[in-house]
Order: sequence, then C-alpha cells, then structure tokens
Amino acid sequence: MSIELRGATKRYGSLTAVDAIDLDIEDGQVLCLLGPSGCGKTTTLRMIAGLERCDEGDIRIGGRRVNDLAARERDVAMSFQFYALYPSLTVAENLVFPLHAEGLSRAEIETKLAAVAQVLQLEPILERKPGQLAEGEKQRVAVGRSIIRDPTCFLFDEPLSRLDVQLRETMRGEIKEVLQGLSRPTVIVTHDQLEALTMADRIAVMRDGRIEQVDTPATVFGRPANLFVAGFIGTPQMNLLPAVLDGPGEGGRGTFRIEGGQSLSLDIGAGLAELPSGAEVVLGIRPRNLEILSEAAADSLSSTIDLIEPMGAETLAHLNDGEHDIRVVTDWRTSLAEGERVHARFPPGSTHVFHGERLLGSAGEGRA
Amino acid sequence: MTRTTPAAEREGFLAWLGAPERRGPLLVAPAIAVLFVMNIFPLLWSFGLSFFNYRANRQREPDFVGLRNFERVLTDDDVWERFQTTALIVGSSVLLQLVVGFLLAMLFARQFPLRRLLMMLVLTPMMLSFVSVGVFFKLYYEPTFGLLSWFVNLFHDGSFALLATPEGALAGIILADAWMWSPFVMLLVLAGLVSVPKYLYEAAEIDRASAWRRFRTITFPYIKSLLLLAVLFRTIETFKIFDIIYIITEGGPGTATETIAVNVYRLAFQNFRTSQSTALGYIILFIVIVLTNLYLYSVNRRTQEAI
Amino acid sequence: MARRFDIGTAGWGRSALAFVVGLVYFFPVLWIILTAFKTRPDALAIPPKLFFTPTLDNFRSVFFRTSSSGDSSQATDFVLYFFNSIFIAGTAVLLAVIIGTLAAYAFSRHPLRGNDTYLFIILTTRMMPPIIVIIPIFLMFRVTGLAGGYWGILLLYTAFNIPFSIWLVKSFFDELNPEIEDAARMNGASDWRVFFGVCIPQILAGLAATFVFGLILTWNEFLFALLLTGVETRTVPVAMARTLGGEVGADYGLLAAIVTLFLIPIFFVTFLLQNQLLRGVTFGTVKK
Repeated sequence: MSIELRGATKRYGSLTAVDAIDLDIEDGQVLCLLGPSGCGKTTTLRMIAGLERCDEGDIRIGGRRVNDLAARERDVAMSFQFYALYPSLTVAENLVFPLHAEGLSRAEIETKLAAVAQVLQLEPILERKPGQLAEGEKQRVAVGRSIIRDPTCFLFDEPLSRLDVQLRETMRGEIKEVLQGLSRPTVIVTHDQLEALTMADRIAVMRDGRIEQVDTPATVFGRPANLFVAGFIGTPQMNLLPAVLDGPGEGGRGTFRIEGGQSLSLDIGAGLAELPSGAEVVLGIRPRNLEILSEAAADSLSSTIDLIEPMGAETLAHLNDGEHDIRVVTDWRTSLAEGERVHARFPPGSTHVFHGERLLGSAGEGRA
Repeated sequence: MTRTTPAAEREGFLAWLGAPERRGPLLVAPAIAVLFVMNIFPLLWSFGLSFFNYRANRQREPDFVGLRNFERVLTDDDVWERFQTTALIVGSSVLLQLVVGFLLAMLFARQFPLRRLLMMLVLTPMMLSFVSVGVFFKLYYEPTFGLLSWFVNLFHDGSFALLATPEGALAGIILADAWMWSPFVMLLVLAGLVSVPKYLYEAAEIDRASAWRRFRTITFPYIKSLLLLAVLFRTIETFKIFDIIYIITEGGPGTATETIAVNVYRLAFQNFRTSQSTALGYIILFIVIVLTNLYLYSVNRRTQEAI
Repeated sequence: MARRFDIGTAGWGRSALAFVVGLVYFFPVLWIILTAFKTRPDALAIPPKLFFTPTLDNFRSVFFRTSSSGDSSQATDFVLYFFNSIFIAGTAVLLAVIIGTLAAYAFSRHPLRGNDTYLFIILTTRMMPPIIVIIPIFLMFRVTGLAGGYWGILLLYTAFNIPFSIWLVKSFFDELNPEIEDAARMNGASDWRVFFGVCIPQILAGLAATFVFGLILTWNEFLFALLLTGVETRTVPVAMARTLGGEVGADYGLLAAIVTLFLIPIFFVTFLLQNQLLRGVTFGTVKK
C-alpha cells in the first residue's frame, strides 16, 4: 500500500495552490510535508484525503487511482488540526465512531477500543466529553480515532500545533512511537521543523505549491538543496552571506570576497572547481559550526559582538562584521562580552556554497 | 427662583452619583423606571383588581371578594373547555411550525443562487400584522369569494366553507398561524445549522458515517437547544394570540375556536366582567411564567454548552 | 484555507426548489399585493383573476377621499397614520435600544448580586398577556391625560421593547473582549470614552439588529394602539381595523393597498439587515 502523486495540481480561481507535485510514500513510511503557511501542504494533504478535488494529475493509493473517489470511499484516516472531535459523544464513542461503518461485532469493537485506549493512555477519560478535555487529551483522542481503524493510509494535519512547548515535546515522542507501530504510509503536515525532523522518515519541504526538496531529515538538514531550504531548516537560522569568488587559489582553496570588504579563504572541494572567477555565490554556515577566535585567521571574519542571548546550555551571539548579522552558537561556558572584537572562523568542511540559488558544493556533516 | 449651588456641593452630589459602585444601578435606573411604570405597576394594580368585583362599566365602588373570581374561573367548565381549545390550537400550530420550519431551514442551509432573495420571500409572512393576516385569510377562507373554496371547487362540487365547521375553523386558524410563524422557526434552526463547524462534517466523511448518523451525531445536537427555544417561545406567543382568531372566526363557530385569550377579551370588553377577566388573565400569566422559566433554563444551558 | 463555518454550496436545483417553496409562502402576500391593484369587482371575482388590468384607484383612495358628488377630493388622514406609525414605532424602539443598551452595559460590566433574578423579572414583563395590564394602563393614561397623545403610547412601546433590547445587547457586550477595554483604560480613557469609543462601535451591527427586530414587533402592534391612541395619533393597524369594521362589505382593494404600503418599509429594512436578524432571533446565543 503506497501513496503516489503525479503532477497533482489544485487551483482556486487564478491562484495555484498546489503546482504539479510528485510524491511517493512507501508502506510504513512517514513523510512530513513541511513549509511556511500558504505553501500548499495542507491542500496537498486534503487532496490525498479526498476533501479537495484534484484539478490535474493523478493520485494513487495502493496502486488504485482515487481522483474520482469520495473521501469515504478511499478508506483513509485523518487527524484534523482542530481535532474535530464530536462534541456530543464521549471519548469512547468518539474513538469507535469510524468502526460503525465496518460492521464489526460488539466484542470486536470493545477489543479495539481497549487496545487504543491502552496505547494512548486514554482509559481515565473514556467517559468524558470533548468539552471537558485538555488540549493534549483531545489530541490523543484525535490520533486514537485514526489508529483504531486499519485504513489505507494515515494523514495528520498539524497534529501538535495547538499544544504548548512542553506538551509538544512529550507528544512528539509518543506519536513517533505510535507511528512506528503502524505499517501504512503516513503523511504529516506541519510548519514546525523540529516536529518534522523528529517524526519523519522523509521530509518534503514545500514553498508556494512546489516541493523544494524531498529527503531524509539528515540530508535536508545537512545538504539543503537550495537557499530556501537552507534558510528554512535549522534554528537559529543558517547564516547566508553573499560573496564573490575571487579566483581559485592554490592547493584547492578559494578566496571569497564578502560584502563589506573582508575576504575568506576556504577549501574548495571538487564540486566547486568549475566555478568561474568572479562568480556570485552565497555562503551558508550554521551558527553552531562557526568558531569564535580571538585572533584572526585566513578563514575567519573579524567582527564585533553586538548582542548576547543566553539560551541555557548554549549561548547565541550576534556578531557584526560591518555589513551582516552573523549568528554564532557556542557552549554557555565560553566567555563573551558585548562590544568585544572577535573573529568568526569558518572551519573546513562546514560551509555550503550556493550558486544561482542551488547548492553547488556542500560541506560535510555539520553539528545539529 | 434659582439657587446658586456652591461648586463644591454640586461636585459632591455629582461625584456621589458618578461613583463606580453607583454606576451600575445608575445605568439601569431609566430602564427599571420605565418598566416599573408601564409594566410592573399595572401588573400589581390588576392583580389587586382581581380580588375585587370591579366592573368597568359600572360606577359603583368595587367590593372585596377575595378569591371568588379565581374560584369561579377555575370551576367553570367553559373555562376548561377554552383551555382545551387553546391547547389544541397551540399544540397543532407549534408542531406544524416546527416541522415546516425545520424543513425550510434544511433547504436554506446551503448557499445557492438567489438565496437571499428567496429567503426574503419566505420571511414576509412574519412581517405582516396580525390584523392584515386575519383580514385576508378570512377572505381566502370565504366560501363564495375565497381562493381556497375556488381551489377546492376544482376537484369537488359545491361551495367549500372552511370556517363553517369547528374542525374547519380550527384548521383555518392553525394554518394561518403556522404560515405566519414557521419562518421564525426556520431562522432559529438555520442559525444553528450554519454554526456547525465544517470540519466536523469532514471528519464524519472521513469516518464514513452514514447520513443518518451524521445528522444524529453532529447536526442534531447543535440545533436541539434551538428547537427547544423555538418551541417554548412560539408556545408562549401562540398562547397569547387574540387578534387573528378574533378577526377570522370571532371564536366561532359557536365557541369552537375560542381560546383563553379570546375568552378573556370577551369577558373584559363585552361582558365587562373586569375582575373576572383579570383573574383568568392571571392564571394565564402563571402558566406563561412556568413556561418562561423552562425557556430561560434552556437558554442558559444553551449558552453554557456553547461549543 | 477554507473558512471554518462555510455552509457549502448547492446548485440551481436547490434554487428551483427554494423558488417553489418561496412562492408558496409568498403567495398569500402576493395575492394581497395584487388585490391592491384590482378594481372592486376584480378583487372578488370568481374564478380568481391572475391577470387583470391594474388600477391605482385603491392607492389613491388610501390618500384621498372623493366626496359623494365625485368632483372634489379631500386628503384622508392616511398620511398622518403612516407618519404616526413610523414616528411612534421608530422613536419608541430607538429609545428602548438606548435605554436598554445602558442597562445592558451595567448588567454585563457591573453585575450586581442577583443579576440573573433582575434579568428574569425583566424578561417576564415581556411574556405576559396584554389583557392583564390593559385596563390599569388605560385607566392610568386617562388619569394622567396621556391617553390619545404621543407620549403615552411612546412610553408604552418603549417599555415593550426594553426587556428584549437588554437581553440582546447584553449578549453582545458579553461577547466583547475585555482586554481591549482594559487597554483603552490604561491609555487614560475615561469610562465614558471606553463605552462610546470602544464598546459601542464593536456592537453597532448588533444594535442595528436589535433595532430592526424591535421595529418589526412594534410596527404591527394593534391591541394597545387601539385603546390608547387618539384621533391624532392613530397608527396604521388601527386605521385598518376601523376601515374594516362598520362597512357592509369590506373594501378589500383598499385594505390590500394599505397592507401593501405598510409592508414596504419593514420589507426594506429586513432585507438590508437580513444577516443581523439571524443573530437577533437566537438572542445572541449562537455565534456566526
């Protein structure tokens, strides 16, 4: 049982919400649709569910073309952003609601109910009504209503967006466990990258109705395909510095002239060898990969510390090289002072080079 | 003679008046004043009146008769008959209003071309005065000139006098009242239907729920309390109606359609048994208050349950 | 993203059905309007005439009365009655909304002990049969000289509309977000400014609905108007009843003309504020 989208398109009048996207989700795989609001991720999910008509293209579930099937005929399970729990039914009744269409016996229904209640720890609240539940409980009931069935696939629309930070952390882990027990393709829509990075087997980053990159979380993080993905994934945001390649230097090193006059001398791997001199590029480096030195080096930029934000185990320092705000994250024990003059070093193998918006040469694995 | 008030004294009074604790009562005062003069006071007066044997067309001083008026009213068989008639009319009309109103609401629960205009057409009955409705429905029911008889004559020979028989007269009144007020029920139910969040229906679609189950689980709970509101409100109002019945049938034929309200009017303005009529009126009031309590209770529950 | 409370669309099929239903409902009213344009024989013709040559005579008769010799015509007092209806209903409902709003604000923002009891009592005044109070009120009016004048009936109608106004407007106030008022107060606004500048603008639509609803209820009122208005202050429903009574065969054409004219303002106002009406009918317990 897999999900396939080929050229799926959805239009609202003159607005193209989803623009000819291709997706493949295998059995048992969890795919996250990640992106800013309005990028079309929820619309895509609803097209798979059958709540929105697909204007062009094909959608296949389990090999069967479902474009013309109503949602109820597709046998999909969906958990809604606002939970959509039936207010007049108790939790138990909400959970077994989808089973009415399957013609099961009382005993079978009871068994399934007990199983789900146990997995999601819903036993204490089975007799309550949605109006009496806390957000986290509602969310678990919504998930429970999905997994009590054996549908062709599972769809989740922003499952954790309404929970507070702490609850989100707990639920993230719980949901991941639950998802691992399912053997059907699962699609999760979220705007929270941490959720995506944690729960997904693969992430599809979307923007303006198009997919920018589909890859494992590690790849999306470590080798972002373009500037958008690079800037979207990772907090604090990756530093993106426009630069001009002065010319290949000796020994596989290149000199990049940064706006504002400073230069960086960095390793250029094989992939960057074809870059002509004078090429305009964007250098990207994650805040945690930058090193702070007290002495200048060939691969460092001198800057002043503008602002220090303690973040607990780490510290976020905003450096200013005269033109750009450079974010650096260091261990909390590093001594820094605002106004101090330091040098931000671009260690070998940690800088991404983007040419014409797309990743050309990338560094190796960076720290998360 | 004008008296100049020292500024401080004036300020003091205004300050006292404008103090925060007095703000609430101050704002409510005009309303209470008007209501008291126009409603409460006359209410109390007439309550007192019901213990006397006041007759408005006689000049002599009324004597105190205690509960005799109430006694007389409650033991009067005719009065019980009136109650029955009233119950029949109120029950049938409200039931009809409910069913038709509900169906109308289901019809208008979706957006479609010309919806606004068509809804206005359906709302017009409510906008007419009782007198207008009474006069013209009487015309429609008229055996010789009326539309209804003409229509019936297409299928049946002989003139059709709806109002000649008790059953017919009752039907005529119930029809007129239900016609007028089913749009009101429609509005209430529509308000409920429209407030159901769309995603609940989507969830039901995903859950493959049947249409009946969808209605029972999602739609009905939302409109249940509104339907109750409609029933109570319309019952109370129909209980009180007088104009329509009086104009169409004058309570006839005989006393077949004479409801309590008409009876009270007759007592008061035709027989001039003023005190007796007020006694009867108070019994009606009592019933209405009981119903109102139920009505308020359900409104409160509705606001608490607001999902 | 689709609106949460979208009611979904249906097509022309439903329009057709609604058209039929609407027509059935509207038919009695339509007939009245048609009758207004009919001559006397046409109005009572059997079989009923759907097509006829229309005449404006009835409308003319509403406003002018020809003397028996047929050559001079005299204005009837109908314009006065019409004016009275508009003036009395409009003013009374307006007053009721104003007074009611003040009281509603108090009930909502400065709740007293026993708030609910007061509200209940206020509501019961609406629920009682008119018959009970009509005698005392009539006597009261006679004694104070209010009978037959504007003030009396105005005051009475205001009293009619106050309970309902209070209930409705209070529900609107209850729904407002108090944080906005707090913010205004912290910016130094006096309580009056908060009331007029912050609260009232937000519920303006609701006030409009309350006004319309009250207008509909008061416009058609008959019983009290019958007993308490005089020759100068008579309203249209009373005038209509007088036209009806005392004539051997009622002049349905004339009556129809009156009803039609009388219907127009209400129809117009309702049409404009259709959406707000939905809210008013449910006493604000349903949010849209």
